[in-house]
Amino acid sequence: MQIESHYKKLTLLFVFVASLILVAATNADPVYTDPYKLEYPDYFGNRISIPGNNPTTKQGVYLGRMLFYETKLSSSKTISCASCHQQKLAFTDGKAFSSGINNVPTKRNSMSLANLLWVRNFFWDGRAKGLEAQAIIPLNDAHEMGAYLDKAVKDLQKTKNYPALFNDAFGSPDVTKDRIAMAIAQFERTLISANSPYDKYLRGEYKPTNEELNGMEMFMNSAEANKNIRGASCAQCHGTPKIYMELFHNNGLDSIPKDLGRESLTGMANDRGRFRVVTLRNIELTAPYMHDGRFKNLEEVLDHYNEHILPSKSLSVTLQNRPNDVGGKSLGLTATEKANIISFLKMLTDSTFVNNPKFSNPHIKQK
Amino acid sequence: MKKYYLSKIVLTLLFFGTFFQSVQAQTAAKEAVVKVEGEVLKPLSLSLSDFAKLKHVDATMKSREGVLQQYSGVPIFDLLQLAGVTVGKELKGENLTKYMLVRSSDGYEVVFSLAELDPSFTNRVIILADSKDGKPLTDGVGPFRLVVPDENKPARSALEVTNLIIRFAKD
Repeated sequence: MQIESHYKKLTLLFVFVASLILVAATNADPVYTDPYKLEYPDYFGNRISIPGNNPTTKQGVYLGRMLFYETKLSSSKTISCASCHQQKLAFTDGKAFSSGINNVPTKRNSMSLANLLWVRNFFWDGRAKGLEAQAIIPLNDAHEMGAYLDKAVKDLQKTKNYPALFNDAFGSPDVTKDRIAMAIAQFERTLISANSPYDKYLRGEYKPTNEELNGMEMFMNSAEANKNIRGASCAQCHGTPKIYMELFHNNGLDSIPKDLGRESLTGMANDRGRFRVVTLRNIELTAPYMHDGRFKNLEEVLDHYNEHILPSKSLSVTLQNRPNDVGGKSLGLTATEKANIISFLKMLTDSTFVNNPKFSNPHIKQK
Repeated sequence: MKKYYLSKIVLTLLFFGTFFQSVQAQTAAKEAVVKVEGEVLKPLSLSLSDFAKLKHVDATMKSREGVLQQYSGVPIFDLLQLAGVTVGKELKGENLTKYMLVRSSDGYEVVFSLAELDPSFTNRVIILADSKDGKPLTDGVGPFRLVVPDENKPARSALEVTNLIIRFAKD
């Protein structure tokens, strides 16, 4: 009898310990419990995009940052996202077209990665809905990173550090393609640029020069020649304090464009030569300009909008008939006005953003 | 010999015929449509020819330069009724928190509350126009544009409209 009750006690103890372990395991909390606080000014508004299945967490962002700078994701083990998106150039690479794995140039200019939290359709033609869908595309591209994603998943699984990082971010050590994209997307959402002199001006902390103020006014105003109101109408498409609106326009670069732009995606004739209206934040750092990097500097960009808009059926109506002079055929800005607009554009350079250690390469130990 | 030349000509013609046909097929643009979707009972996708069959009314609005212009099109209210949107007698209670998001092909977006579009609330008739002064709308404006009469700014009279999306305003 005594032996039997001893067994009973032991069994009870075992059940108790096992259930304790089970409860502890199900309550394991490293996953999704450490939200990353995305900080941005109120004047940016809250029309942000974060999918319900990929909340931004400290662990996810850190993993994403590791992966963003991870050359193991390319077939040559030499290219990472950061090769074409360098922090010091507001996450561009200073080239008209980037060269990827086999030195075949990319089809379009590398885009700046700033304030992507407010973007809904990615790439120059808006073909990827959401950052997760975007991140997969260069990873799978034969020319950009060598279409190495499937093998990279296996490679990362075998590393010492990554399974633990995936466990912290997603609750299990499994490396998957989707998780790679999700983590990179989380990191990219944190790339917020909101501390330029223009932001400081909006917060009442910076007094712009006369040139900057005049440039800002020209940038924001639309010309009304008969009322003697001068303006460059830039804010029609680059407006709001974000200096970004999600639009796709044909900005008169070519009458017959070599690159059909959004038309290739939609099949619609009115999308011919239409490309994303880009953010102008940090524009001073992101030369060369346009989807094909045809303009070397901001002076050439201003010259284009001022006097070289080429007509076509899909030319944006906002770039037609906006002269500053009665009866004028082009925008008609003076040399001083153009220079002032460039002074304003340089107010959008955010040195905090391009030097923020949170966005830098985590594989290089900070000295 | 003659026969030989003849067959050569026929073959050449055939070759170029097929070649141009394929080029034409490649460059033939897709037909533009306007979609009514979201909180609707019956999603619509209307081409210009579908649209032409609907009852048209006239509406006027001032251009950016202040010139009065006459457009013809279909009242938005009629399109909403066709799609089974909660307008008319059903536009009460929580349905008054619904809005219409208008999206253009270039990504431009504006909104209207359903009450702004319903004749039981307002006498102003907002239309989706497909012609101006009896002519189809020009490139960059059409094939469909919104005409919102009596507004001081034409900013909500969206051009190149592709989608009318009905949604609930949440929180």
